[in-house]
Amino acid sequence: MAERIDEAAVIAWLDGELTPAEAARVEQAVARDAALRAVADRHRMIQARFAAAFGPIAQEPVALPRSAKVISFAEARAARAQKEKAPTRRWWIPGAIAASLVAGLMIGQMQQRPSGIGDRPDALALAPVLARGLDSQLAGEPGVVRVALSFRAQDGTYCRSFSAAHLAGIACRDGQGWRLRYAAPATPSQGDYRMAGNDPAEANAIAGMIAGDPLDAAAERAARAKGWR
Amino acid sequence: MFVSSPWERAGPLDEFESALARLLPRLRRFAHGLTRNPADADDLTQLTAERALRSRDQWQPGTNFDAWTYRIMRNLWIDTTRSRQRRDKVIAPEEEGRDIGAPAEAEGKAELHFLMRAMDRLPDEQREAVALVMIEGLSYAEAAAVLELPQGTLTSRLVRGRQALARILSEE
Repeated sequence: MAERIDEAAVIAWLDGELTPAEAARVEQAVARDAALRAVADRHRMIQARFAAAFGPIAQEPVALPRSAKVISFAEARAARAQKEKAPTRRWWIPGAIAASLVAGLMIGQMQQRPSGIGDRPDALALAPVLARGLDSQLAGEPGVVRVALSFRAQDGTYCRSFSAAHLAGIACRDGQGWRLRYAAPATPSQGDYRMAGNDPAEANAIAGMIAGDPLDAAAERAARAKGWR
Repeated sequence: MFVSSPWERAGPLDEFESALARLLPRLRRFAHGLTRNPADADDLTQLTAERALRSRDQWQPGTNFDAWTYRIMRNLWIDTTRSRQRRDKVIAPEEEGRDIGAPAEAEGKAELHFLMRAMDRLPDEQREAVALVMIEGLSYAEAAAVLELPQGTLTSRLVRGRQALARILSEE
């Protein structure tokens, strides 16, 4: 490994690809250097999100094919389209609208694309449907997300600890929207909603961010009415 | 050659079939990482299983079965995308809406779709490296073997892919 510890070394460390001696060097450097720690935290969080979202797929049973008759991918798609023709046709219209919304979003994102990592490297964007849930749902309400706790952070932003299918953590609302500031590293069991608030690491993260007490029901409603600003 | 399905088979699965059956759920997850589309992922998984069963004579016992099978999937997907690039020029735009899925599914899988969209924006060579290591949990050596690359090349693609993902996920 090169003398200087770079992002590649941090990633290799997180992936368990280093010898014990190399790993110890990276670990010490990360403990000493806040910038390296931010890099490590960012990659850990991304890894946790992918594990939580893709992990449940590998729990679903898949049957061995009926025969070893190989057809082409195009034929397989055509066969499926034929089979689904009647029921799926109806989905195509809303599907196309949804696709264009997603495309619009992506284009919007690309136009505003910053040149680097950004000044808040740990702040990751949320899927729009989850962001809408955080905008509208009160703590304890059922819905796309389940909010356990809302609070004001020391930097003045509103933050909410939440769980959703395949993702749990803490998001804070900045000028642009909800940003993930902490993601639960654990894969949710059976892909269902994790009980919000029972993760000690998350409790620590809240303790390090919060200014004053959590919002009570009235303060939470007032914050929602003002768009969490 | 005909290989019957587990429920039609009289006897138990042989060793090769059992290994394949055990690996299929993980292969299907890899297919989601490669295709970024649940329907395509299912098709690719089935095709890969069929190809593996038909090519079973080419597998050398004692070598890494997982790597051999992942490689089949990845190569099938490359062939598919090559032919698709030609075909997509004439395909109807409404076809593109399919991967959004039914509305009932959209909420629970919002995060998965969001991450698949982020994967969409990576170059192919970075995406497959990220899918094998970060999603499938393969070691760098195993991933390099699947992709038939020197490990240094795999590592640099992986790092660039992860840096790009971090950038994409930091935007909004």
